[in-house]
This record gives sequence, structure tokens and C-alpha cells, in this order.
Amino acid sequence: MRTILKLTATLYDDLVQRLHEPHHFAGERVAFLKCRPALSATSLLLLGGGVHHVEDEDYVDDPSAGSTVGRSGLRKALQAAYTEAVSMVHVHLHEHRGKPRFSKTDLRENALFVPDFWNVQPSLPHGAVVFSFNSAVGQCWIPGQSSPSGVDVAIVGNPMRCTWKVMNG
Amino acid sequence: MGDKLNLKRQSFLGADSEIVLARSRAALVGLGGGGSHIAQQLAHIGLGNFLPIDPDLIEDTNLNRLVGATMEDVKLGTAKVDIADRVIKAVNPAAEVIKRRANWTEVTAELRDVDVIFACVDSIGCRSELEAFARRFLIPLIDIGMDVHESNGEFSISGQVMLSMPGKPCMRCMGLVTDEALAAEAARYGAAGGKPQVVWPNGTLASIAVGFFMKLVAPWETHKETPLLLEYDGDVQTVSQSNKLAYLPAHCKHFDRLNELGDPFWTPDALTIVE
Repeated sequence: MRTILKLTATLYDDLVQRLHEPHHFAGERVAFLKCRPALSATSLLLLGGGVHHVEDEDYVDDPSAGSTVGRSGLRKALQAAYTEAVSMVHVHLHEHRGKPRFSKTDLRENALFVPDFWNVQPSLPHGAVVFSFNSAVGQCWIPGQSSPSGVDVAIVGNPMRCTWKVMNG
Repeated sequence: MGDKLNLKRQSFLGADSEIVLARSRAALVGLGGGGSHIAQQLAHIGLGNFLPIDPDLIEDTNLNRLVGATMEDVKLGTAKVDIADRVIKAVNPAAEVIKRRANWTEVTAELRDVDVIFACVDSIGCRSELEAFARRFLIPLIDIGMDVHESNGEFSISGQVMLSMPGKPCMRCMGLVTDEALAAEAARYGAAGGKPQVVWPNGTLASIAVGFFMKLVAPWETHKETPLLLEYDGDVQTVSQSNKLAYLPAHCKHFDRLNELGDPFWTPDALTIVE
């Protein structure tokens, strides 16, 4: 079963614009996409409907990583997942073209904090995605499964951008 | 020369266009005068995956406009989805056609998988419900509609093609669906009879709809934005951007809530069933 994160181009453009804004010490910004899940005949769909931005004061000054979100920032994201009953997908941006990759730090941290969302929304899938300028890769933790599955991404707009359809994206 | 469609003459659509088209999936809801035209054109451009949906069998009154249908089909009472399947496979044997002789509401799991839905349905109510479904699962919907009006003993042909893009103005924003029109349609239920339909306006509208689709999946230029609503005046044979677009909100206010996305009855147990 494939997992597909879908979001509108309008939402994606707003998200990327905010991720580009400089922070006074964090090397990159991160956010959480608020999604609702659905099953199709072949796939698990994560349908993005909003963004939970990490506020400036919730980053921790940590030179060992591009950005580190402090406890208060994670608590606010957990609160949003709980009150709005949404799947949360952590997102950040690698500023290059072509298929991005999670760093070792990303993979280690994803495995630590993404399953934490099951403490507040145990029945929903949660995940992490890294975007480049024209592609994306992701991981999804699905209830009942111990290891994450891969995520394809579809930006629904004019034109459509789907990571699994292009040869070199 | 094998059974593979040779798309060399449309290489201007981009280096990836052949593979993108082969991996794309479109649903055709309604395989009558409009949908049958669209199915044929999508087969020619190399679309790889089709989901044609229509509960009906062909009747003799359909033969004046249903592309690919024959007199023999009328005698046999062939299903419209079978005619579409035959037309598509005759052009592109490699295409996957998952045909469903059903109402679209009976095949929603498969419909959630498509990249684009073509709405080729008659009623405003059906259009409205299909758009709500498409918005819930973030699927662009391309709607075509035509009508023949009688006035002072003469007839007038008109129609429209609309792109309902999630996040952008919807049919209600554009005035194509209104509570008054839905109520009037409900009041006429069962008494409307067969509406006049002819092949050439359907062909014009279907071609524009396929053009909308191609701009979505394999755009040949990216500087000119496709208008969301084009209007067809069949009496003078013109297609123009709708004046309604000048008064539209930037964002749709009818489908902008997070809880209107996804499966309203989500349960993780369903994942076990799929696995």
C-alpha cells in the first residue's frame, strides 16, 4: 500500500514561503502539516488542510543541527494534533533541486518524535517529509506498524506535481 | 511497429510527458456525448489509466452523439463503459481501463485514487455532489455542460467547461450551483424528459476539457494561467473566458475547513483490511 501526502499548491506555496523566512539563529525553519487521512482502493492518503508553524521563540539554539524545536514547540504541536484531531506531518526544506534525502540526524529524530503524536492521536498516521525545490521524500508511521513506510507527495495545483511520476525529480 | 503508442509528435509536451501521462489516472463520470469524446482523446494522447463510470446501456437515442458507438451496440444493448473500453483499447492496447457499470457513489474507493475527475453528468445536483467528493479528497474536477434553450420559436446552444481546483473557487463561487437551481431541479424530478443533445458542441467542450487536463499534467507552457471557467456560445461558435471570473474571491469559502477533508469515518482498523 502506497502512502501519498496530498496538499494544494496554495497551501504548499504559503508553506514554502514561510520556511524560507530567516530565523535569527536557527539555520532552517520547520513546520507541521495538519492532515486528515483516508483510504483509497490502493493507498493511504494524507490530505493536508493547514499548517502549524513553529514560532520563533520555540527554536532552540543548537549548532549541531539545522534547527531544533524545543519542548514548548513540540508541546504546541501535540496540542494542535489533539484539539484538531489531525495527523501531523513534520516538514522542512532542503534548498536544492532533485530528490532530497533525510540526513542521519533527521532519521534519528523522526523516529523519536513522530511516534509521540500517537500519545495524543493514537488512531491516526503521522509522518515527516523533506521538500526540495522540485521534489520530496517522506516517512509515515501507521498505527499498528512498527517501522515507517515511504511517502509520495502530490502538490495539487495547475500544474500537478507528483513525485512518483517524473523520471528525475 | 508494435502495440506501443508512438507519441513522438507530441514531444513538445516535455521530456517526462510520456511517462507522466502513462502513470496518470483519470476518472470519467458519465460516458455519454461528452464523456465518450473525452475518453477517445485521452486514449490518443497516451493516458495510461482510465476509470470510466456509467450505469447505463446504450439506447438508440444515444447514437447521434456517443463517440465509438455503433448500430450493432444499440441492437445488443452494450454498456456505455464497454464502448469506452473498446475505443480506448483500440487506440492504446497498453492502457489500463478499470470500467465500472455503476453510479459513481458505488465506486468511491477507486475514485479516490485518480488524479483528475471529468464530470460529464446532466444534473446540477450530481455535479454538486461530485465536486464535494473531489474537494474532500483534493482531486481537481473538470466539468463540462451544454444545453439547448428554446426562445421565441428558435433554439440556442450554450455550454461551459470549468476547472474546479481544490483551494480555488468552486461551482458555488461561480454561480453554477445555487440553492435555487438545486430546488428547481428537484421540483422537476421525473418530469424533465430527454434534453436535446448533439455531437458537435459536445466535441468542442470535450476538447477544451482535455486541454485543461493537459495543462495540469503535461503543460507545454507555464506563463499563461488557464481560466477556471470558459463559456461556449454555440450559436456563433465562440469560446471565451467567463465574465464571472472578474468577481470571484481568491479562495473558496465553501470548502475551506479542515474537517471537510479525508474519510469522515476514519478508523485505523481499515488499514488492516487493506493490508
